[in-house]
Amino acid sequence: MRSLSIVAEGPGRYIHWGVVQISVANLSIIVAMIILFVLALVVPFPSGHGDEADQERRQQ
Amino acid sequence: MTTSTGAKRAETTDLGNWTNRLSGWVQGLVPPGQALPDRQPVYVASWIYVFGVLTLSALAVVILSGCVLAIGGVQWWHVSSLGHFVNSVHLWSVELFFGFMVIHLWGKFWMAAWRGKRAMTWISGVVLFGISIGTSFTGFLSQSNFSSQWIAGEGKDGINSTGAGAFFNVLNPGQMLLWHVVLLPLVVVLIVLIHIIQVRRHGVVPPLDADLEG
Repeated sequence: MRSLSIVAEGPGRYIHWGVVQISVANLSIIVAMIILFVLALVVPFPSGHGDEADQERRQQ
Repeated sequence: MTTSTGAKRAETTDLGNWTNRLSGWVQGLVPPGQALPDRQPVYVASWIYVFGVLTLSALAVVILSGCVLAIGGVQWWHVSSLGHFVNSVHLWSVELFFGFMVIHLWGKFWMAAWRGKRAMTWISGVVLFGISIGTSFTGFLSQSNFSSQWIAGEGKDGINSTGAGAFFNVLNPGQMLLWHVVLLPLVVVLIVLIHIIQVRRHGVVPPLDADLEG
């Protein structure tokens, strides 16, 4: 019965916008990923113990 | 001391021996000290540089949970709560794997990570992305439920139209399972190794403004 209940899940909710059709679940994941990407760019990293000599060596 | 040892080794190395040649090739894959470096350039201190290793971490969980699922078998998760749990760990680690990989891709795209002779690093990453999608596709075909039947039924015409259906039959669950647990993971791990070696050979790409200043 448990496996039947997995099969008989209700239909997903979809958003229609012209030719674009996307499920609310997929849209939520994409939005979460974009938010995570932006946070990764703007949130400062906790420790800044980089090796500047190494950076100079890479740039040469 | 190191120089004399190296010179002595060079004198005694028999290059006609394939083991010596292979050993030299393996040692030359990455510059000395770069295989597992403990320090990175200062610009790497940013969260956007974390997503590559997060992707690798998720892949490790994917492989480990997949190995546990292989012990129980493909039907295990239908009849056991433990099997269901391991199957869910496998699914959600794959979700995280793709999420982290796509954010890694966005970060590398917008910093033009193919700069500085890093084209092969970029290309191996793109190929890895494509192979990973194929691997996950065969995973969905191996669920042994109505969902996998529906996906196979919907996918067969598309696959067959490419000609690949001659040797890749999505309606054959046994074949899809073996591709999923043997062939494609081997290819994924191989390309991951190539990708990591390329990163270690050429170093982490600097931000665009750092490159311009250099």
